[in-house]
Amino acid sequence: MNSNNGFIGWLLDPKRRGPLLIAPAIFVLLLVNIIPLMWSFGLSFFKFRANKLKAPDFSWFYNYEKVLQKEKIWEALQTTAIIVAGSVGIQMILGFLLALLFAKKFPLRRILLMLILTPMMLSYVAVAIFFKLFYEPEFGLLSQFVQQFTGEMYVLLATPAGALIGVIIADAWQWTPFVMLLVLAGLVSVPKHLYEAAEIDRVSWWRTFTTITFPYVRSLLLLAVLFRTIETFKIFDVVFILTNGGPGTATETIAVLVYRTAFQYFRTSNSAAMGYILLFIVIVLTSLYLYVIKQRDSEEI
Amino acid sequence: MIESFKKFLLVALATLMLVFGSSKVAFSKTVEIVMAAPDWPPTRFMQEYFNSSFPQSGDTEIKLTLDFIPWSNFYTNVAASLTSGEQRYSMVVSDSQWLGAFIEGGYFAKLNKYIDADPELQAIFDDMHQGYKEGYTTYPYKSENYYGFPQFPDNYINFYRTDIFCNPDENIAFREKYGYKLPCTYADWETIVWDNVFDINAFLTRKKGEMLAGKPLEDDMFGITYQAGKDYDFSSMQINGFFWQQGGDIWDESNQPNAQAEGVVNSPQNVKAFQQYLDILGTMHPSHKTGGMGIFEMQALYLEGKIAAMINWVGLGAPVVDPNVSKVVDITGYARQPGTMQDDGTISRWANLGGQPFVLTTWMTDDEIDAAFKIIKWWLSYDTQIAAVKAGGQSCMKSIIYSDGYNALAPWNAAYVASMDWQKDVWHVPEFFELLTQQQEEFDKAITGQIGSKEALDAIAAFQQEILEEAGRIE
Repeated sequence: MNSNNGFIGWLLDPKRRGPLLIAPAIFVLLLVNIIPLMWSFGLSFFKFRANKLKAPDFSWFYNYEKVLQKEKIWEALQTTAIIVAGSVGIQMILGFLLALLFAKKFPLRRILLMLILTPMMLSYVAVAIFFKLFYEPEFGLLSQFVQQFTGEMYVLLATPAGALIGVIIADAWQWTPFVMLLVLAGLVSVPKHLYEAAEIDRVSWWRTFTTITFPYVRSLLLLAVLFRTIETFKIFDVVFILTNGGPGTATETIAVLVYRTAFQYFRTSNSAAMGYILLFIVIVLTSLYLYVIKQRDSEEI
Repeated sequence: MIESFKKFLLVALATLMLVFGSSKVAFSKTVEIVMAAPDWPPTRFMQEYFNSSFPQSGDTEIKLTLDFIPWSNFYTNVAASLTSGEQRYSMVVSDSQWLGAFIEGGYFAKLNKYIDADPELQAIFDDMHQGYKEGYTTYPYKSENYYGFPQFPDNYINFYRTDIFCNPDENIAFREKYGYKLPCTYADWETIVWDNVFDINAFLTRKKGEMLAGKPLEDDMFGITYQAGKDYDFSSMQINGFFWQQGGDIWDESNQPNAQAEGVVNSPQNVKAFQQYLDILGTMHPSHKTGGMGIFEMQALYLEGKIAAMINWVGLGAPVVDPNVSKVVDITGYARQPGTMQDDGTISRWANLGGQPFVLTTWMTDDEIDAAFKIIKWWLSYDTQIAAVKAGGQSCMKSIIYSDGYNALAPWNAAYVASMDWQKDVWHVPEFFELLTQQQEEFDKAITGQIGSKEALDAIAAFQQEILEEAGRIE
């Protein structure tokens, strides 16, 4: 194949095969990801509502200013932070403990491991509906259980604190196995001879844990915190189905607020600004974690 | 034998070809109308009845395909479809309050020119109950710009358990305790006001194992229940009625830009009315504490026999009399919902209009518009309306609702018709969903005990004032 073959020949030149092969993927990425991203970013500087015929009106930082002045967004950020702290905290503790348990060999380990991993394979919607039924005051298992002792129906989702706990438990239940899996990968990579040496030296369990086990899983734990924080920060499905942001706005997370603003209020450019504020926060969090990880790695070196 | 069998086969084949072949060639084209519709009995009936009874005529075959969407996501799904520009729907079953949003968005077609040009459509318009016509078809509200036809008119009624309310022993015990009769007949319920509901609910709230109407209860039992859900409009619809009955109001969109939200939405009458709603709610089934006492949740409790009465839409009546899903088929009575006693001794029964019109979208072709009007005329024809009413639906055509024998067509018809003149509608402006969602959130905070009635209404009034001023609807 050479230049004599015209355009086709030029296109199929070996040095262009690589770019040619990835071109469709780049095109799709541009079409469904990059262009809408840039479009929505641009839209955040206009006044525009998707349900009105008015043309977009350039407004500089009006939407960002308006969004940041809204008390509602700070409330939603606070709610999101509580859910992130609660859920990720539980996931870390339980995930670590489960990983410690499953790092050892015992009967039915494989079957139990499979069962434990099931929640994270379920869809968000299935998990939310499962917990909605679980918390249901009339026939839900939780209410039925409490009723055995109190004689009264138990309505967990009736109070702001109860609803937050309900959401946190549902999210932690689904994603604890993910943390466990990551930590387990770290635990099985610890060289056995280190434990044997510690045993010979009659080192206490705690010291073995802090000097041998934990250093091996620390970076994986940080990775789990990073992943789970970013993901939980965007929590939407579980909240929307389980509590619809209620009671009142007690569980209205930032993602739910963005959704409402965009698709229920049709404040399109306003919601675009909110989305970019959310993105900014996630980027800051990610950078922070990456910085911490880098610092620790350099300390270890 | 074989020869005669061959002949028989040939004749059969020829007949089949004649029947199916001729029906195929009878239509030169097919027009399909795809209609967005909430998933509930009145729309399911429409699809089934269309499939079995729509009279095809001319050389065009008309197909009607209803796209059933769950109620709680109905607005969001339809709004997403319309604003995305996919032009999926030719017709939409629209809640009346959506009209402004989708008319100003350029999605719902104005129908005046079609109505003006068609005596049949004019006759339909003239025959519609005035309050329902204003609610379902006009934008701005109560103007002469028409956009829809009634798909399913609806209002609240009271579904109650006759085996409980008409039990002689319970009646004696109730009278001894409260000094008046436990309502049993339609006429008894006509005298019942919301204040009486405190007594009724206190009397009928019983624990599992206790006796009620001569039988031990298998589950806890609660009295009369109404909507208190955070989703969509599942508390506003009931609360608006309390406002109007107590002499209060919502922001009056027909009086723009002079009508205010501040001072009206949080008026002393509204605060009193909302407090009464909350106080009565405290005597009801505790599910409302989750903000989840929507129309379907309440219906499920009633069908399972866990509440003695429910205030719900007529549109949810059909399952009550369906033995496949209802435990209370033969033991349900129907009445108007309680009202509020006025100083002059009359009872105010204002309530929020329910039901939906169906509308045409602006991108329909001429063929589709012709087909849509054929469907509308068929749906609003006497025979179809009567069939719909018999199947649990309703009508707002005066020639039907005031005709002899109408009340006998369905057990709740008397209560429905008697309530029709007491309906007002909520806002139709494009900002309605923002107003509604914030109002639902504040109501929910009050329902779940986080804030009081005044605090909730102050927050709603301030929000509405801001949004409506921003939209130029309040000066």
